Amino acid sequence: MSGDHVSSVISARVRRVEDLLEGRGLLDAGEIDRRIDEFAAGGSPANGARVVARAWVDPGFASRLLADANTALGELGLSMSGGLQEQRLKVVANSAAEHHVVVCTLCSCYPIALLGPSPSWYKSEAYRSRVVRDPRGVLREFGVELPAETQISVWDASAESRYMVLPRRPEGTGALSEAELAGLVTRKGLIGTALV
Amino acid sequence: MSRINDVGGMAGFPPIAEEPDEPRFHADWEAHVFALNGALIRRGVYNLDEFRDAQERLPVQRYLAASYYERWFAAITTLLVEKGIATAAELEAPDDHAH
Amino acid sequence: MTTRTDRFAPGDRVRTRSADPAGHTRLPGYARGAVGVVVEPAGAHPLADDRARGVVGPARAVYHVRFAATDLFGAGDHTVTVELWEDYLSPVEEQP
Repeated sequence: MSGDHVSSVISARVRRVEDLLEGRGLLDAGEIDRRIDEFAAGGSPANGARVVARAWVDPGFASRLLADANTALGELGLSMSGGLQEQRLKVVANSAAEHHVVVCTLCSCYPIALLGPSPSWYKSEAYRSRVVRDPRGVLREFGVELPAETQISVWDASAESRYMVLPRRPEGTGALSEAELAGLVTRKGLIGTALV
Repeated sequence: MSRINDVGGMAGFPPIAEEPDEPRFHADWEAHVFALNGALIRRGVYNLDEFRDAQERLPVQRYLAASYYERWFAAITTLLVEKGIATAAELEAPDDHAH
Repeated sequence: MTTRTDRFAPGDRVRTRSADPAGHTRLPGYARGAVGVVVEPAGAHPLADDRARGVVGPARAVYHVRFAATDLFGAGDHTVTVELWEDYLSPVEEQP
């Protein structure tokens, strides 16, 4: 069976379930399309990048972000309430002494409300099984080589909090604007599998 | 009895494969499954932990053979049957037996 | 059952449950029966193990608990911080 064929069979099954639920009053007409549109317009790594850039230029904001990320997000008009329920966000800051990396070993918990959907590698068994046991080896696969004296802290999102990494500001960026700094930040940087 | 989802620290998985320029969803039906699950949880048909549990107790071989959103859809249909909202026969597409 | 979010304080040593439950749980297998240190409280929520069975109990305290990799895997110079319900944790008495 080709992949396209598998896809068309499951597409038909999903449509059938939607029709059946609509018939039973458990879905409104157009509700699924509306939710898909809302989701597409929701979180993206650009939100996380804005948060990071603000923290780099405003030490007061950085302290508030690390102490109570949900409240600090509000200063930028962002929130963790875009998903099923408002979630607690914990931001962990990289330093010369400590590098943080985030995983969900039990499923695929991720700050979707803020960052949008996670990449497939984040949801893979390969990442989830290995990063808690050998983070240095996993980071090396991502091209991140840390000094031996840098402590690595892995955060497993096993309950209700979601995590985001605050990367270190790269050297030589003193002249950049906040928007230009945000442009340096990648999704992997927010997860901890890239330096920025 | 650790479940199949509980892979933290498990040996034997391959290097991590990144997909360049990965789309949010790889097919329309994946977006539909994502939205359908959110709609059912918001309506209180089931909760998020029941949804996770339903994935975790899929038969192991089926779980391992399924893609991420195939697992989601399998969990959704499992719960719809267990909650008495639909029968398994009703949830099968008409052409399921044609292949 | 009442929930005291101050049952554990940052710096407290705790041991995780070693039992192997039949159903859904949010204590990863690799962190069972291990001793770690409470980093900070993380709010209170009904226990996921109960919610998975359709039972919504009272809110229970949740904590970030940090483990040394050597205590989990017998090797590694890193730490792993896991977010755990108080139901999974018991106090470790300090040596006098």
